[in-house]
Amino acid sequence: MAEERRFLSASGVPIALRRRQHSASCRELAVRGPRLQLRSLSAATSAVWLAAYGLFALCENSMVLSAAIFVTLIGLIIYLHFVKIDQESLLVIGSLGIQVTSAYASGKESTTFIEMGQVKDVVINEAIHMQKVIYYLCILLQDPEDPQGVSEVVPLFQSSKPRLDCLIEVYKSCQEILEQRKTAPQSS
Amino acid sequence: VLYLIWAYVPETWLFSLGLTYWPQKYWAVALPVYLLVSVGIGYILLFGINMMSTAPLNSTHTITDNFAKKQQQKKFQEEAIPALRDIPISEVNRMFFLPEK
Repeated sequence: MAEERRFLSASGVPIALRRRQHSASCRELAVRGPRLQLRSLSAATSAVWLAAYGLFALCENSMVLSAAIFVTLIGLIIYLHFVKIDQESLLVIGSLGIQVTSAYASGKESTTFIEMGQVKDVVINEAIHMQKVIYYLCILLQDPEDPQGVSEVVPLFQSSKPRLDCLIEVYKSCQEILEQRKTAPQSS
Repeated sequence: VLYLIWAYVPETWLFSLGLTYWPQKYWAVALPVYLLVSVGIGYILLFGINMMSTAPLNSTHTITDNFAKKQQQKKFQEEAIPALRDIPISEVNRMFFLPEK
């Protein structure tokens, strides 16, 4: 059972939230950002090439032009592989844990798994970030020997930064699953 | 006042008075310029220090602090306003976002 809804991110770009329920205690929530636009790619490429041509017109050294080509190619590869995140997803499995995946534009995926014993709660926190106050979803981790205190905060959806309406949907879905572990404490 | 006298009176007059050991006249203009430039840089520096000391998104300082961790719970009295305390963020979230209205 999958459904997809459109929202806006904190900076105004459209994002899509896809919610899939695999079973009663397992849910997957994926936020997908926009793909790399052709116009921004061509704008950046032509800016770099015009600058290189201007330099070439000044200093008559043809190495500048080939260097510019290399710079654009390598810069594009590095951007797609390390910077541009296409989709971030959250897989909540009731008695097992939470898995956070980030899929980059070049196909690389980086995954983090947090087991349920360490998860204290999933909350929407607000904080100051670059002269703005933003809402962001985060997982509160607890120390096994100190169940009252928060040992670490793991922020989620860092690159697609959804707004509050999208975060409330994700929060409600997560809380439905997290509540089940209070009512079913048979597992150690 | 002494500064103004030193800046405006020419050197020869001061020498004739017998006072010869003054700093060079260059500093009469340089010092105010230094002061104004450091005031300008101070604006930028303060802005930068503020940005650097803001807690990052993954720190526990955005959620709680030392005072909140060590607060004591007062006993609940009937028909009295509950004591002032820091409400943990999970409870606040549940109150805000969960009930369907």
